[in-house]
Amino acid sequence: MSNHAQPSVNPFAAQQHHLRERLRHFLAILHPVLHVDVVTALEAEGKLLSHAATSVDSPPAGLWPLLTLLVAQSISPDMNPICAGNVAVAVECFVCAIDLLDDVIDEDQTSTLQALGVARTLNVSTALLTLAQQAILSLSQQNVAPELILRLLTTLQESALMTTAGQHWDVLVEQRPAQSFTQEECIEIAAAKAGSIMRLACRLGALCAGADDVLCEQFSELGELLGIAHQLDNDSHDLYYLLQGDTSALGSAQAERNVKTDLVRGKKTLPVVLAANMPGILQSSSSPADEEKEGHLRALQQGVITTWGICLLYRERARDRLQEIEAQKPVAPLLHLLLGFE
Amino acid sequence: MEEQQIQDFVHRVAQDETLRKELASHPEGVIMREGFSPRVARVVARLVPQLALDKPLGPSLGWW
Repeated sequence: MSNHAQPSVNPFAAQQHHLRERLRHFLAILHPVLHVDVVTALEAEGKLLSHAATSVDSPPAGLWPLLTLLVAQSISPDMNPICAGNVAVAVECFVCAIDLLDDVIDEDQTSTLQALGVARTLNVSTALLTLAQQAILSLSQQNVAPELILRLLTTLQESALMTTAGQHWDVLVEQRPAQSFTQEECIEIAAAKAGSIMRLACRLGALCAGADDVLCEQFSELGELLGIAHQLDNDSHDLYYLLQGDTSALGSAQAERNVKTDLVRGKKTLPVVLAANMPGILQSSSSPADEEKEGHLRALQQGVITTWGICLLYRERARDRLQEIEAQKPVAPLLHLLLGFE
Repeated sequence: MEEQQIQDFVHRVAQDETLRKELASHPEGVIMREGFSPRVARVVARLVPQLALDKPLGPSLGWW
């Protein structure tokens, strides 16, 4: 189930078609030996070139570039669609590159990693990061002011560094005991990873549409809050289904493997950290084994519910931010639909 | 801090059977008494089925 009342006809079909056309334009510059592997990565589930049929509950292919495009078109409905499309394609390439690096670092056995192996995957990631910059630089051919191009590129670079720092932080903390973590640190990591990527998707859309600084910041914050909520939603539901023994709800065997890999690698997700810091539950070493196991389970369940609550809190904050934006001008209905707010 | 308010409330409900029963029968009264901000009150109201009635976790937020 999802809270998105998505009709059976794909409402984003026209935008996806435009984005795919723009993406193929940039892919055409790649050498054939590289082109085929880059396309493989961009055809993965959820990516813009995915062949998977859209079901009522599944996200539309190319969710991230759609967000950038719809933010831009909502702010400036008459803006040059090639410009908006190219900036959105930069986001798709950037997110795909970061996802590939994340998969390699976490040793997730995704379909792309299985098909390409580590060496080719890393090379594809490099190509995609370069294509992201290329897509923004191409705006000069559309008579976009050099100052704006520089601002867009700077935003992309800042986000790349923030996301990389978040990923590095996430790797470093694998060696630390969960008890040494705080709720704040977990949320800071979520903000640096998922938060910064969604912040980028919204900010680039607002920037390229000529939004003023205040509106750019409002859309950036909206994106960051939604990104953090998304990460906490995943963390709480993944662990919840695992505790329930309902791994089919994770969506795929690959998703189940990834969740287990996260636990084995010692990822400090918020529910795990909250459970580890619950007084008198996980630290108890004097209780018999069964009682201790039950205590662990109760603590994890409580950690899951608390994380879900904090996720809802971030979602509420995002809703407040959207209302501030809409107090000036309502956002386009398609953007509303994509954001998932009633 | 709103995050801490939610964490503390979930912990208290888990430890306190009386509070859990009261939350199940009069959620609005409990939420009002706690003096939460409107935003935290909306969140806690959505957590009542899991906190007090042992219902499964709400559905994933979906795309985001």
